[in-house]
Amino acid sequence: MQSSPTTKPLSPRKMGVINGRGLWTLYVKEVRRFMNVFSQTLLAPMVTTLLFLAVFALALGGGGRQVGGVDYILFLGPGLIMMSMVQNAFANTSSSILIAKVQGNIVDLLMPPLSPAELVIGVAGGGVTRGVMVGFVVALGMSIFVPLSIHNAGFILWHAINASLMLALLGLIGGIWAEKFDHIAAVTNFIITPFSFLSGTFYSIERLPENWRFIADFNPFFYMIDGFRYGFIGHADSSLAVGFFLVLIVNIGLGFTAHRMISTGYRLKA
Amino acid sequence: MSLGATKEVSKPRTIRQYGAINWRGLWALYSRKAVLRFLRYGLESIAGPVASSCIFVLVFVLALDGGTAMSPDLTLAQFVVPGIVMFTLAHVAFDSAAVMIIHDKQDGVIQDVLMAPLTPLEIVIGYSLGAATNGLLTGGILLVIFSVFIDLPFINPLMAIGFALGGTLLFAMVGMIVGIWSERWDHFSAAETFLVMPLGLLSGTFFSLERVPGGFEWLLLGNPMFHAINGFRAAVTGHSDASIWSGALLITGLTVILALTTWRLFAVGYRIKA
Repeated sequence: MQSSPTTKPLSPRKMGVINGRGLWTLYVKEVRRFMNVFSQTLLAPMVTTLLFLAVFALALGGGGRQVGGVDYILFLGPGLIMMSMVQNAFANTSSSILIAKVQGNIVDLLMPPLSPAELVIGVAGGGVTRGVMVGFVVALGMSIFVPLSIHNAGFILWHAINASLMLALLGLIGGIWAEKFDHIAAVTNFIITPFSFLSGTFYSIERLPENWRFIADFNPFFYMIDGFRYGFIGHADSSLAVGFFLVLIVNIGLGFTAHRMISTGYRLKA
Repeated sequence: MSLGATKEVSKPRTIRQYGAINWRGLWALYSRKAVLRFLRYGLESIAGPVASSCIFVLVFVLALDGGTAMSPDLTLAQFVVPGIVMFTLAHVAFDSAAVMIIHDKQDGVIQDVLMAPLTPLEIVIGYSLGAATNGLLTGGILLVIFSVFIDLPFINPLMAIGFALGGTLLFAMVGMIVGIWSERWDHFSAAETFLVMPLGLLSGTFFSLERVPGGFEWLLLGNPMFHAINGFRAAVTGHSDASIWSGALLITGLTVILALTTWRLFAVGYRIKA
């Protein structure tokens, strides 16, 4: 035993209402997790999205086709950016939680002095960061080929952040619910991908048959793609005000659900 | 020492005899290691690709504003469906081959395959036929689903089977090579994102050769996936963008070259044996 005479007596660390340092540490851990493999998490989505752009522009953009009052490629671009953002925000939080659960190091999140709200904010913050960064990288790559112009930056930011947050929270909830990787793959394949593909990314919602319009009317994915696209091209298929508040309300609801799941320990604590 | 062992009246052990090919071993590798494992995760491995292919077709049919069909004799759905079936089939074969080998390497159970009395050639045949079967299975399910909704004439069924086999074997070989080369899952997903997806998406699945801007046709004509899709589409619908025979030749040649490469890799034990 070696005792050094100069150590101060240990006392519990004082913190206010929010454990700022812990929250920041969690957030940074979430961001570093995906930045470590940025070729997989940032470059790969960009390449895939640009391939989609090429495919759809070649297949469907011929003959100066106009959708929503602009060239098809200008209509398509924002939709594709949004699609890559939501898919990555979801992938980030769901894989983070599920891997932690499978490997057993989820206790490292549950043991520290972090409240459920702080956990939700930290993990979801990482997902939002990934979503927004992917969106930015994709937009940057896309701007080489598509003359993207900004009509209303406020709508772009609002919907980028809210859409990423919505999917980050869904990913958090999905990650808590899932027990195996199959489960999360099923959610991605049968819920997230269909919603992000069929909610007006590639076509104007007017194309839907009359009795399928309800797909759009109650679908937050549709409103956020539409609102995000409005920020670029200045044309929307839906009511902007409804979309603006709907994403906020859905996010608050999802945030409370995630908070509830963590505080009761659903599938997290034995 | 167990006492029971002495009581046992066992037949004298002899070495199992087999001819030039270890059929039983090959069958075990093919069925248990490759196909049954794939079927066990059916929800993820079959239903997933099937669902996303259906979504692709739906998106294309909805996104097209009428009038701009790829060719006068086919509707857009008729044009796109054979391409999507072929792409999915090849993608599943690639995934299945690569994932099998990476899993076996990571869990260390690849030793069980290497230690068994199987020659490198038998190992290559077992794994690749297994992956090819998985691809064909998924493609078959897709064809059945699509033919309910879309009129597919199947002009030349034999040729369709031939091209399906060629495409799935080719990508099973690519998947095996990627699986042997990968040391982490990152490597696999890099190969998928930067090799297989571009080959699959820029292949004429979704657009015909005439749509490609001048000067870039080589991008399609040099892509084996384009030839696999073109041949398959010709067999199913009768519409072809390029020479079918040279496509068949290219696919066969490439598959043979890659099969020989894979065989060599297993024989020397590249990244498999220490």
